[in-house]
Amino acid sequence: MQPYKINPEPWQKGMAKNITFIVTKDCQLACKYCYLVGKNEKERMTWEVAKAAIDYILEYEADFKEESVIWDFIGGEPFLEIELIDKICDYLKTEMYRRNHHWFNSYRFSFSTNGINYDSEKVQKFIKKNKSHLSIGITIDGTQKKHDLNRIWKGVGDKRGSYTDVVRNIPLWLSQFPNAGTKVTISSADIPYIKESVLHLYSLGIHEVNINVVFEDVWKDGDDILFEQQLTELADAIIDGGWYQEYACSFFSETIGKPLNPENDNQNWCGAGKMLAIDAAGNFYPCTRFAAYSLRSKQPIIIGNIQSGIDKDKLRPFLTLDRTTQSPRECIECEVASGCAWCQGENYDAADTPTIFQRSTAICKMHKSRVRANNYYWNKLFRKLELLGERNEFESNKPSVKNNEPC
Amino acid sequence: MNKVVGRVSETERDEIQALFERRNGLNELAKVLTPDNIELYEKLVKDLGKTGSDFQNWWSRMAAKYSWESDENGHWEIDFNTCLISLIVPS
Amino acid sequence: MLKYLVILLDDTSTAYCHYEAEIRTPRLLALEDLAKAITFGMKENLRIQFVYPNYSIPREYVELINSIDHTNIKPVCLADADDIAVGKLSDFSQVQSANVVLRTSIPELLSGIEQITNIVFDIERVNLVITDIASMSDSDTCSYREFLKELVGSILQRCKAGERMPQLNILTDRLMLTAMNNCNAGEETIIVAPDGKFYVCPAFYYGGKSNCGSVSDGISIKNPQLYKLDYAPICRKCDAWHCHRCVWLNNVKTLEVNTPGHIQCVISHLERNASRELLAGLRGIGEFLPGTEIPEISYLDPFEKL
Repeated sequence: MQPYKINPEPWQKGMAKNITFIVTKDCQLACKYCYLVGKNEKERMTWEVAKAAIDYILEYEADFKEESVIWDFIGGEPFLEIELIDKICDYLKTEMYRRNHHWFNSYRFSFSTNGINYDSEKVQKFIKKNKSHLSIGITIDGTQKKHDLNRIWKGVGDKRGSYTDVVRNIPLWLSQFPNAGTKVTISSADIPYIKESVLHLYSLGIHEVNINVVFEDVWKDGDDILFEQQLTELADAIIDGGWYQEYACSFFSETIGKPLNPENDNQNWCGAGKMLAIDAAGNFYPCTRFAAYSLRSKQPIIIGNIQSGIDKDKLRPFLTLDRTTQSPRECIECEVASGCAWCQGENYDAADTPTIFQRSTAICKMHKSRVRANNYYWNKLFRKLELLGERNEFESNKPSVKNNEPC
Repeated sequence: MNKVVGRVSETERDEIQALFERRNGLNELAKVLTPDNIELYEKLVKDLGKTGSDFQNWWSRMAAKYSWESDENGHWEIDFNTCLISLIVPS
Repeated sequence: MLKYLVILLDDTSTAYCHYEAEIRTPRLLALEDLAKAITFGMKENLRIQFVYPNYSIPREYVELINSIDHTNIKPVCLADADDIAVGKLSDFSQVQSANVVLRTSIPELLSGIEQITNIVFDIERVNLVITDIASMSDSDTCSYREFLKELVGSILQRCKAGERMPQLNILTDRLMLTAMNNCNAGEETIIVAPDGKFYVCPAFYYGGKSNCGSVSDGISIKNPQLYKLDYAPICRKCDAWHCHRCVWLNNVKTLEVNTPGHIQCVISHLERNASRELLAGLRGIGEFLPGTEIPEISYLDPFEKL
């Protein structure tokens, strides 16, 4: 058994079809880093639209061959529409069963929530009814200071933070989903709080902290240095404090920071196109990030709708996109390329032309900083565990030390 | 007590995992389906019985095949990630 | 690397490819911009092609055009023997050009097979362009397959009777090629539109897409790599080498210039397979292109094998 906790694999090793209902574009919060530029209180999905989408998807079973499905609900804040979601889930269960659809044997209902109304009667009733098929992530950014820096209430003049409204629901959430993880997003202003925030989340009993820097080009000079410093201090705290045994932080992973073979490691990072998102108007998108409310400077990419179905031609670029075709030379030749992520929607939004084939490199310096801190983490941890000599893969990737040759 | 007492093959794991998923699906469907939906309700009742017995049969078959350590107050559990079988005895 | 500069002399210049010239009101390219475009082409060592409207252009334009080696692309009614003549089936009763672009919709094509066969044998080189690919249905592709089969039969019959081997892009180009030979708009070809701006191809101008520079400021193509074969995941693994690989149709169907839609691939593969049948038939008449092989394949859309 591993003497340290590793980040668990996603359900069905990430091979499940992800189908997202954008049930509302409303949210109680107005987080400063939120990529949803077009949030509003008007666009709520109706039952008729949701039902038509389900009927289409289940009717065309042959076009959805994945063994498993994740029915995902996002917003805005999805639990603002708990009554609709409850009705959708009941209909999904009944229809998958009535049609003998292969997904009845392998499905999940997934939610990313701000956690504010998690303890409400309606949400709790829903959880009880669907417990064995639920995956619920509550977003809490760390310490109160860090959380309230970004995650503030909407329309409140004094910029009231939401930390206390969320943290009160964490014990209930963890009692129902002990293995649940939280998602933390890091923007430029958050960097000084990374270490204390991750440790704070651990202290709340959250064993899995999924954390990433935003893909948008928000980084200032010196952010990478500060970031590396924070991660190095975090590595020290996790290892010296013994947290690594039962707690994981996705910043630290043994597989990142290696060169990637252009032919064998050429798969796309992002699942856009393999996913399907549906909005209140009944339009289909390759991912929610391609809906109008997510885009700053580009037109939405609509790949069909509930009336006419999916336009498969519009999916072809997504399904044929690979790493090297969209990456600049510096990324293809990068010696620490593995683990450097991208968001297809952000790539599209930031591209010079309306294309998904131009990779944004806004996080380049941040990734390199992460790799250095990550190397530090594993070197320190394995020395502590006296395992260093057993790690062939790790050893083989360490830079060789050349002896000075005489002149 | 929680003690690892054996391991099944990946194919055997897939079999019980599929039954486990289906049983959970049927149980949660049962919470929303009412008897007035006669056709579906009858199908569900039949299915629950069959899936439950397939589930039990799997454990009986595997226990006979692998002769796992047992305890009259305990039960076995499977870890779907590792295929390991544990004996759980309440303390 | 750019090789060709196509200059649209007027907003009503004849459409010579899959697109339609949607503007009906004549507007000539400014004489000053024409001069700049020609100078640009000379400095960049490009082969220049002028595309004409169906009226006679002013004398000063003709003088300027004649100051440089060039090719003319003209409507059939105005084309001389050396020009590339563009028209539809009904325009080709009296054509002088040796090189023509025959633009046709699928319904016209299907009803005009006899006339097309005659044109193919009467004229040295025929480039057949289907104008409604984007809206073709599955039944249209079945009809097109039958059309090609019949056309191959007719060509073989006349070749067997001693007539010369014709040149028809959709059937004979593939026989002569050893690698992709596409339109290459944006990579080898660039156009100057009547607004004095550069565009990847005329369809981008008429379709209201962004320009890529002007004759005054020079060319600036954003994401130029996307026009290259290496950056086209489906096409780079394909052997329908004669395919136009039309970046405009790509963009219409898939929203990306480097990704073809299903129907384009099917059309090109029906042509590829018909070329294969033609090759086999010609070898039944006598020795023909020894060493050239077009292998049998099981798909019509290379997307399926990725």
